[in-house]
Amino acid sequence: MKTLAQIVSWTALAVVVLAPILYLAGRLELAPMKLWLNAATALWFIATPLWMERGEV
Amino acid sequence: MPEPTTEQHHHGAEEFERQPVPERALLGFKSFVGMYAGEHTAGTELMIGPLFVAAGVSAFDVIIGLLVGNLLAVLSWTFLTAPIATHARLTLYYQLEKICGRKLVTLYNLANGVMFCFLAGSMVTVSATAVGVWFHFPMPGLNDLWPNSVGWVIAVLAIGAMIAIVAAYGYKMVAHIANIAAPWMTPVFIAFGLVALKQFIDVTGTQIHSLGDLWRLAETHLWKGGAPLPGQVKFTFWHVMFFAWFCNMAMHIGMSDLTVLRYARHSWYGVASATGMYLGHFLAWLSASLLYALQLHQEPTNTAVLPGPLAYRACGLAGLICVIIAGWTTANPTIYRAGMAFQAILPQCSRYTVTLVTGLIAAIAGLFPAIAMKLLGFVALYGMLLMPMGAVVFVDFWLSQRFGFQPYYAEKAGTGINWAAGLTWLLTLAACWALVQFAGVQIFFVSLPGWFVAAILYVLLSKLMQRETAKTNA
Repeated sequence: MKTLAQIVSWTALAVVVLAPILYLAGRLELAPMKLWLNAATALWFIATPLWMERGEV
Repeated sequence: MPEPTTEQHHHGAEEFERQPVPERALLGFKSFVGMYAGEHTAGTELMIGPLFVAAGVSAFDVIIGLLVGNLLAVLSWTFLTAPIATHARLTLYYQLEKICGRKLVTLYNLANGVMFCFLAGSMVTVSATAVGVWFHFPMPGLNDLWPNSVGWVIAVLAIGAMIAIVAAYGYKMVAHIANIAAPWMTPVFIAFGLVALKQFIDVTGTQIHSLGDLWRLAETHLWKGGAPLPGQVKFTFWHVMFFAWFCNMAMHIGMSDLTVLRYARHSWYGVASATGMYLGHFLAWLSASLLYALQLHQEPTNTAVLPGPLAYRACGLAGLICVIIAGWTTANPTIYRAGMAFQAILPQCSRYTVTLVTGLIAAIAGLFPAIAMKLLGFVALYGMLLMPMGAVVFVDFWLSQRFGFQPYYAEKAGTGINWAAGLTWLLTLAACWALVQFAGVQIFFVSLPGWFVAAILYVLLSKLMQRETAKTNA
């Protein structure tokens, strides 16, 4: 479960990084970029508390 | 920005407050990398970047100024703060108590607590601009000093009260949320910049084929230089460099981070501050400045610096959440620390009560946009106010024996106030004030000569007063 949550978290973070880069490169429009960003944000905040211990980072 | 750091994230407030940190409690380099990266990507970064643009910075001045200024800040942590921290391994407060006496430390706590309150107030202001996106109430403009709508007052008070309650009762929960949000927040800050850059490229019709093209865009559209907006101070390379160096002056030259770095195994761990400087005070400031530059390009009459709407336009809901979390998670520890500083003065009050009242004062401060809109000047003032005590700690630790006076004088003499330190603080601030008022030195620069004034005064006054005391005792 913890491993799955970690995979989801890091995938979400990769999307947060990649979506604006793809937008800058002209490969993604603004509206879908925001959608990806919002979805990845939601996933990050759902998955990360499942594995990140208090005081970690 | 400039929110202070303490050990509470890692250790809890009561550990090693009056004793050196033991070997078993020392932390590795990674702990400091993460902590500095998180602490310096705060809500106020979203104000500072735009205020640079409002101050009319040019591309060279802002980019090179930030690179150099942040380097100087990292060097200050590494060569001024960390060596003392890893030798003495004491909190700033305990070290000051030994040097200055308990009464002077109380005064220091009061000054520190008041500045923390205002700083937290500006973070509440930042978060409230995000609420304005949903409720569409009028929000303050760049030169507004007073709250300008009922909606704004309600939003700030509601957010401020929430932050105050959570700081008093749920500090650990918010610290946990801050930890969770930190790795996500930095890419979102960078996303602001990338989105704004793309929109600049589109609206100006610029073709980018090389770094040279990008630099031309930066010079002609992003950071154009020229006159500042009405009511703002013109920023040059020197302003940007000194601002980046001194915006955390209270922490490095002012020695607040002795409390954090006393846990470092080696003094070179001070270089970990580079993560905070170059992620928060370089990338995040530049990103936020791009958002504002784009707003000015599209609507030249809209000069309001409102992080909420700026972030929402660029990144939608994720941007708004970033503004709220960045403001909230950094206001929370700031209010908590202000509460601790005040509680040291009022030990009979419970920490909850003091933190709650402190949070409410911060909320009231947040009502006044003047603090957030004049954040550049406020941050410079904050550093200047606490800087003299950093010089006192530095001189007392490294130079006292060379100049022939007693270190940790208050402890050894059993006095509640070391007048050499007290007068150094007071006279240095008076000298800085005189330089600003009568010599035309701007507040952004005055702390550099101020540090030398403080160091020289402390040496002279210590020698003089300790000799007088020795004569009297003889």
